[in-house]
Amino acid sequence: MRAFSRRALFYVLTAWAAITLNFLLPRLIPGDPVSRMLDRFRGQLGPEAVFALRALFGQTSNNIFAQYLQYWGRLLHGDLGVSFTSYPTPVATILGQGLPWTLGLIGVCTVLSFVIGTALGVVVGWRRGTWVDGFIPVTTFLTSIPYFWFALIVVYFFALQMHWFPLSGGYRPGLRPGWNGSFLTSVVEHAALPALAIVVSSIGYWLLGMRNMMVTTLAEDYVLLARAKGLSRGRIMTTYAARNALLPSLAGFALSLGFIVGGSIITEVVFNYPGIGYSLFQAVQGQDYPLMQGIFFVITMTVLAANLLADLAYVLLDPRTRVAV
Amino acid sequence: MTTNLLADVESGTTGQEDRPASRFGWLRGFRSARTLTGVVLMVLFVLMALLGPVFVRTDPSAVSDDVLSPPSGAHLLGTTHTGQDVLAQLIDGSRISLLTGFVAAALATVLSLLIGLAAGYLGGLSDELLSLLSNIFLVIPSLPLVVILTGALPEAGSLAIIIVISLTSWAWGARVLRAQTLSLRKRDFVEAARASGESTWRIIFREILPNQTAIVAATFLSTVIGAILTQASLAFLGLTDVTQWSWGGMLYWAQNSAALNYGAWWWFVPPGLCIALVGTALSLINFGIDEFINPRLRSAHIATKNARNKPMARRLPSDEAESDDTGASSPTHGDVVLEIRNLTVEYQTGGDPIRAVDDVSLQLRRGEVLGIAGESGSGKSTLAYAITRLHQPPARITGGQLLYTHPDGSRTDLLTLSGKALTAFRWEEMSIVLQSAMNALNPLLRIGVQIDDALQAHRPAMGAGARSARVRELLELVGIDPQRSAAYPHELSGGMRQRVMIAIALTLDPDVIVMDEPTTALDVVTQRQILQRIVSLKDRLHFAVIFITHDLSMLIELSDRIAVMYAGRVVEEAPAKHFYARPLHPYSQGLLASFPTLSGAKRVLTGIAGAPPDLGALPSGCSFRPRCPRAFDRCPVVEPPLLLLAPTGGSEDVAGRRQVACLLYDGADAGRSGTGSTGIPEKVQV
Repeated sequence: MRAFSRRALFYVLTAWAAITLNFLLPRLIPGDPVSRMLDRFRGQLGPEAVFALRALFGQTSNNIFAQYLQYWGRLLHGDLGVSFTSYPTPVATILGQGLPWTLGLIGVCTVLSFVIGTALGVVVGWRRGTWVDGFIPVTTFLTSIPYFWFALIVVYFFALQMHWFPLSGGYRPGLRPGWNGSFLTSVVEHAALPALAIVVSSIGYWLLGMRNMMVTTLAEDYVLLARAKGLSRGRIMTTYAARNALLPSLAGFALSLGFIVGGSIITEVVFNYPGIGYSLFQAVQGQDYPLMQGIFFVITMTVLAANLLADLAYVLLDPRTRVAV
Repeated sequence: MTTNLLADVESGTTGQEDRPASRFGWLRGFRSARTLTGVVLMVLFVLMALLGPVFVRTDPSAVSDDVLSPPSGAHLLGTTHTGQDVLAQLIDGSRISLLTGFVAAALATVLSLLIGLAAGYLGGLSDELLSLLSNIFLVIPSLPLVVILTGALPEAGSLAIIIVISLTSWAWGARVLRAQTLSLRKRDFVEAARASGESTWRIIFREILPNQTAIVAATFLSTVIGAILTQASLAFLGLTDVTQWSWGGMLYWAQNSAALNYGAWWWFVPPGLCIALVGTALSLINFGIDEFINPRLRSAHIATKNARNKPMARRLPSDEAESDDTGASSPTHGDVVLEIRNLTVEYQTGGDPIRAVDDVSLQLRRGEVLGIAGESGSGKSTLAYAITRLHQPPARITGGQLLYTHPDGSRTDLLTLSGKALTAFRWEEMSIVLQSAMNALNPLLRIGVQIDDALQAHRPAMGAGARSARVRELLELVGIDPQRSAAYPHELSGGMRQRVMIAIALTLDPDVIVMDEPTTALDVVTQRQILQRIVSLKDRLHFAVIFITHDLSMLIELSDRIAVMYAGRVVEEAPAKHFYARPLHPYSQGLLASFPTLSGAKRVLTGIAGAPPDLGALPSGCSFRPRCPRAFDRCPVVEPPLLLLAPTGGSEDVAGRRQVACLLYDGADAGRSGTGSTGIPEKVQV
């Protein structure tokens, strides 16, 4: 129970830290961003928006604590402000449009590359000391590839040269989004290349990690005893070695999620994919601070939620964590 | 180094414990081909950044009419849409990319060190708070944060980028270093420094930090990769000063000038390739360091496939094995169930093979307990694994026979069994109890399952009901409530776990059980209970035991016969009671004098001077000679053979025979050695 409450506390604190960071960031910008902003949007912003802008950068008569409380108040009402670049669309609306695309693409790809990478890592680790080890340098190369660069290569070959897949976007322009066959087919077609880029460039990370954990686990006495007992190779590999090796890998998965997701999101830019990664790019280009804040908030909360899921999976897999400590 | 490895194999530790002496030993990892490739590649890139502009004098920003031309003699890597030379950009760009990577990583590593060392060393509340901080930084997605931070600083120069990257990438290193510091803190040499009143920071910098060089280097290098990738991402998004060339910046221009649509692969392929190659080079170097930090990874190099489960090439003609006379009509203990004949095990670790077990011959009779004693490094554990053929590379059986007698009288040389036959034989006829039950039980499986799967593997026809009945029966045999078959290993006490191990060994009713220090990890009371349990089970189920331990007093109580090993050889073998009454070998005498008996008369404990020998460099003649209080002039010259002495009782009882490998009992010197008064038995040549 103590371990559980510690984890819960950790999540609450991390969420609080991320949200507070989000509050502080615009206030750290040097110079007078509000005047710059007002110059850029000359006459387009209503008085409400100007006030919101001043509030965002802390240029109100209230002291910082009052501002902080107001910030929380707005956040709890789901009010993430209004985007500058697509004024007057609320940030929440833009996020609501982009999030399903990102969750679908990045979420599925991250899980996919973890599962495939881990499975390959099990096999490569099991066959340590054989020719399979020759894959290690290849895999290190894959882990070092910048996501977006590999995305460029993939686009060049499969979209521009071969014309196998569409170049960019989330679905064919002109189609009405909905749960119908032609739309869904189009979505899958458009997701194929970004997915390929993300999975290939993140798979090596899991493969190497799992391979090393397998090698370490295979030296354990319980694996030796399993071999002595005459168990089948399949059972030793899965139930004795891989299952134990998976636990640290899963813990690593949870912790690396932020890193991986951050990298994958940039891939959306190459494909003009309608997710929040592309929105982040546009927000940064247009210095759309409310949108940046909103995106950072959403990404952090999603990663935290995914972490929580990984934690729960860990508890399911490891009986030792289930004891009341 | 080789002996270190051997000691690791013997003791089953990962070898991390005893290494303060080789603080920079990890540099040796650079010898591996993979690591060397990484180093060479990295050096090339650094040279490119340093010297490249000297050789390629083209201005990377100079515009020309030669637009979008593919690689040619004039432009080795072609040109951009404004006719700029790609190679010149690549070389110029390497400076910013590498500089950002290394400087940001250096700053991040300093942060990691400060926070990791402080958290690990100070412990308590500081540790809680600092760990919390680094975990928070780890979980928050760093790239979006960096993007927003640099987006917030519109005219972000290289320095600002470097600071932002280092501020968001220290957390992983801090976590790793904290864990390492925690484990170092408990080591003897740190404790000693604390006890002598050295200041905290002095201990951290003088005692702890130098022992972390490998991990710090590994952390630094992986942070470099991360920093280069982050810089490239930022540049690609146009968040850095894109008029300053960097690899990411080149990709920004390529992407924004539709290089893809022009098919100008020479423009966007090289910068990404450079980033990936630098990353690969650093990862390969890190691989070498990792293998140093974790010796288990290192040993994975040694080819495992060939050596494992492969029968020895030489096969004895079966009639020779059949007709062999082994004193089958022993009146007291019945026939020999296992005969170890001239068994030799070597560790092949690059140079000369090291003999851990040297020409060992022993006989185990049905229902008997044969005790094998010796210091660590004497080869006794290697022997245990070799007997069950569970030895792992680099250990290799290079000679001898392991003759097992089936109940029907036929014999099999276990060394000739191939993989399948061996798997079928082992556990059915011979099982093993490992030293640490904590490590030998799979922590994720219920104990009942771990007994059941052995049944399932060997008795495929047995139904689930019958199997679970057998599991219950086995647990009862070792004195565990059958209800607990659903328990996980961590829910049991140390003694109970060791009982489970015994139950697992008994699963298929084997004739022989090899026990490798089965009670070493237990407290004295539990030790006693386990030993009593083993004896009562043995009397009931009539299996024979090879009991291996360094605790001679335990062996004397438990065993029928005792063999003492030194430097891989059996130096004395005798019935337990005779051995206790009058050990012959000076080493046995020393061993016996260094343990108190569990019961019986008190005596002065003396111990043996000196340390176990280095098996790679054994002294000439008798290997115990340098430590022997009774060595004389022939000892360095003659290697003493194992002599069979006539039984003291005068009968021809094989179980009562004594053997000793010591020149004191070699007839030629018996008189001169001055031990004649102790009534040395008459010598019989083998």
